[in-house]
Amino acid sequence: MNEREKGGVPDDALIRTTLAGDDGAFGELVERYKGRAFAVAVGIVGDGDDALDVVQDSFIKAYYKLKEFRFGSNFYTWFYRLLVNQAIDRWRKSARSAEVPFDESWLSEDASPPDSFAYPRTPEDLARDRELGDALQRAVDSLPEYHRAVIVLREVDGMAYDEIAKVLGCSVGTVMSRLHYARGKLKEALKTHREG
Amino acid sequence: MNIEAKADALLPREAEAGLAGHLAGCPACAAEDAAIAATGPALRALTGIRSMEKAPELDAIWTRVRAGIEEGREARRRSPWIARWAWVPAAFALAVVAFLFYPAGTDRSPFHPSTFDVSVEDVESEGATVALVDKGEDLPRVIWIIEDA
Repeated sequence: MNEREKGGVPDDALIRTTLAGDDGAFGELVERYKGRAFAVAVGIVGDGDDALDVVQDSFIKAYYKLKEFRFGSNFYTWFYRLLVNQAIDRWRKSARSAEVPFDESWLSEDASPPDSFAYPRTPEDLARDRELGDALQRAVDSLPEYHRAVIVLREVDGMAYDEIAKVLGCSVGTVMSRLHYARGKLKEALKTHREG
Repeated sequence: MNIEAKADALLPREAEAGLAGHLAGCPACAAEDAAIAATGPALRALTGIRSMEKAPELDAIWTRVRAGIEEGREARRRSPWIARWAWVPAAFALAVVAFLFYPAGTDRSPFHPSTFDVSVEDVESEGATVALVDKGEDLPRVIWIIEDA
């Protein structure tokens, strides 16, 4: 049983009930995963409306592919694979995917920030600093798709390296390498903003 | 790399203590550590803002999903049966072609009925079994056994 199932009906049981013809059981899976799914989708596509479409389409696709699900494996790993692919497809089709230039000034290394500076830790912190929010979004947008997916699955969803590797169909080493690269880009965006 | 491992809580306790000692005396590494440690919360804050903006729509997502499922069902019902079963004649045609050309392109020799020397023999058993025996090779080979009902 994973974290998401605590106190509720196991995912496998809901899937069996759905396959037996009870759509309500699938509704429970949707309720269980919609928040995390949206956070991952919006982390990849960047836009809230696009992310809602991605979440909706991914759940519909999962419903029709449910008979292919292998019992004993994690539903969310299986579902996230659909979700991430759907999000990447949406990103490619969106206007936002038009070349986002990487700002080389982020690569400045000698940061000595004022002591009073505090990095944002909550949506409220970030909402107060719109410029930083924009800079961060630009940094996320400038990442290659699969690097973005890795850092979102790790930092937003809290997935372990091996789970991310399963979702993306790559090795743990590739996950670590992409994460290192993506973190570097976001770190530079934060440091540059702090210096400015 | 140690700083990143620390951010992922993957650094062994003793290595973390060593790193903490270094960070205390190195402002450049301390700044690096603070920035890396901030990437996760900052990214969560960013997606959190979008989640808050779309909370009402997300609350109603099951309604949208259910409607999409129904739409898919309806589309499948409307699709002509011929489109759903079009693979059957294609598979049949493929099987016929495979049968006609087998064993062309393989090492197995083709079927030669002329080499058969088939006879029917009685085999002693309680069920009065009949056997068809192929004597075309050095050793007799039982091809089929038919038991009386």
